[in-house]
Amino acid sequence: MADLFDIPFEDDPGVATPHSAPARRARRVLTVSELTGGIRDALESGFGELWVEGEVSNCRVWNTGHVYFTLKDQTAQIRSVIFRSAHRYLKFRLEDGLHVVARGRLSVYEQKGEYQLVCEHLDPHGRGALQLAFEQLKKRLHAEGLFDTSRKRPLPALPHKIGIVTSLDGAALRDILKVLGRRHPNAHIVVRPVRVQGEGAAGDVSRGLDAIGRVDGVDVIIVGRGGGAIEDLWAFNEEPVARAIARTRVPVISAVGHEVDVTIADFVADVRAPTPSAAAEMVVAAKDEFCARIDGLRQRLDAAARAGLQRRRARVHQLTSRRGLAGWHARLAVRGRHVAELTHALRRAASVLLVRRARDLQRLRTRLDAQDVRRRVAAVRARLAAADGRLTAVGRRRRDGAQARLASLAARLEALSPLAVLARGYAVCWNADRTAIVRRADAVAPGDHVRVTLEQGELACEVRRTDGPDH
Amino acid sequence: MDPTIKDFESASAELEAIVRKMEDGDLSLEQAMELYERGVQLSRFCHARLEEAERRLEILSDRGEVRDAPASMGLTGPDESGKHR
Repeated sequence: MADLFDIPFEDDPGVATPHSAPARRARRVLTVSELTGGIRDALESGFGELWVEGEVSNCRVWNTGHVYFTLKDQTAQIRSVIFRSAHRYLKFRLEDGLHVVARGRLSVYEQKGEYQLVCEHLDPHGRGALQLAFEQLKKRLHAEGLFDTSRKRPLPALPHKIGIVTSLDGAALRDILKVLGRRHPNAHIVVRPVRVQGEGAAGDVSRGLDAIGRVDGVDVIIVGRGGGAIEDLWAFNEEPVARAIARTRVPVISAVGHEVDVTIADFVADVRAPTPSAAAEMVVAAKDEFCARIDGLRQRLDAAARAGLQRRRARVHQLTSRRGLAGWHARLAVRGRHVAELTHALRRAASVLLVRRARDLQRLRTRLDAQDVRRRVAAVRARLAAADGRLTAVGRRRRDGAQARLASLAARLEALSPLAVLARGYAVCWNADRTAIVRRADAVAPGDHVRVTLEQGELACEVRRTDGPDH
Repeated sequence: MDPTIKDFESASAELEAIVRKMEDGDLSLEQAMELYERGVQLSRFCHARLEEAERRLEILSDRGEVRDAPASMGLTGPDESGKHR
């Protein structure tokens, strides 16, 4: 640096020679701009691209999107900037206290006479950018209370619709559908296909979560993907996904197929499943638990009802064994017997009455049958009488003769009536229920009951002996 | 279904309350019978609801439309999966 102040003043314009003698008066006077320009050239081309390590402080984001900060160590500091175009590629958030390695170039800001480090890239010192980003976001969301247990919602006992946010052709969806197909065959599933890795995946997943959360009837959501390298799962460590999970109105199960690492999505989700299959099992387990709970309640209900009855029975027993009520059972038994006897008597009376009625009815029917024969005779008589009336030529004598013949005809006809036979002293013997006439002695056996119809009334008889037709 | 039963969450909660009440005892016979009947009704409702849903697989598109998934998406029915049981 000393050389810079030793530049001699020369009369002739030209290049200043550092080794001119101090005695020479001719000196070259530079303008500030010339000087600053010289400094800029020296710094910018002299150092070129460089790497520098230090701690970030006074970090400020301008509304242009550029981020200004100071990089320092124990004894020195340098103003630094990272422009928006480079800053957006940083995975982690630039903040005070971070120990970073910056790659960039020196630049002089001539208007202010300041130099600064223009960073093209920043890396966290001693660890990966992704790891840092993960830790930062985790700390921030945790501070906001997004991981709080009180925010975790229980899974529905029996989901109306199961929402799934994942890639359409990934193993995750296949695994989930396989489990649901086996364990919950009547599930209603709505899939929202999204990209789960690569540029833009986080935005895709978060928009997918928002969209499926709005579908009517969806009351549980599985979001995830199959296993992969940490970079492949990165979308699930990004803020948009975490925020989307947090604002979803129904419980979310995170299912990122990576059993070792826990993603930010896992922390925010209501339930964390180690794999997509496990997530599906959880949805079904809720159903099974519900089933078991209902069955358990039903058993307790029955048991309680039984116990209640038993209590009452015991109480009744206790009461009846008291002195005032002793003998209660015996008295009840006596009463019971009395009632039984009465009932029996009543029943017997009714049956006698019934038999009598039946017999009356039978008698009436027999008489009706007889009347019918009489009516037929009367009709023939009337017809003959009418025919008789038409006999004009034959004369009265002949008519009288006809009348006499008619009378004998009627008498003969009348004789055919069973009643007429009965009037002559014959009787008809019926079987007990009066369905057939007994014509042969061997149609009945001793002890059988038979009925005998007389001209006037009937007899109920018991056969004492049968004498066959050959006797 | 019984219009006084809303959904299974509330049905199971009500059933739970009934069981507790009955287990505590101290009810008249009429009350106990009434509660028991209601409890049986609730447990039947829950079982019925468990079996009533219909299997469906749908896709929610970017435009927010819900349509049935193509059969090729491998929605395995209960028959096919029965082998694994």
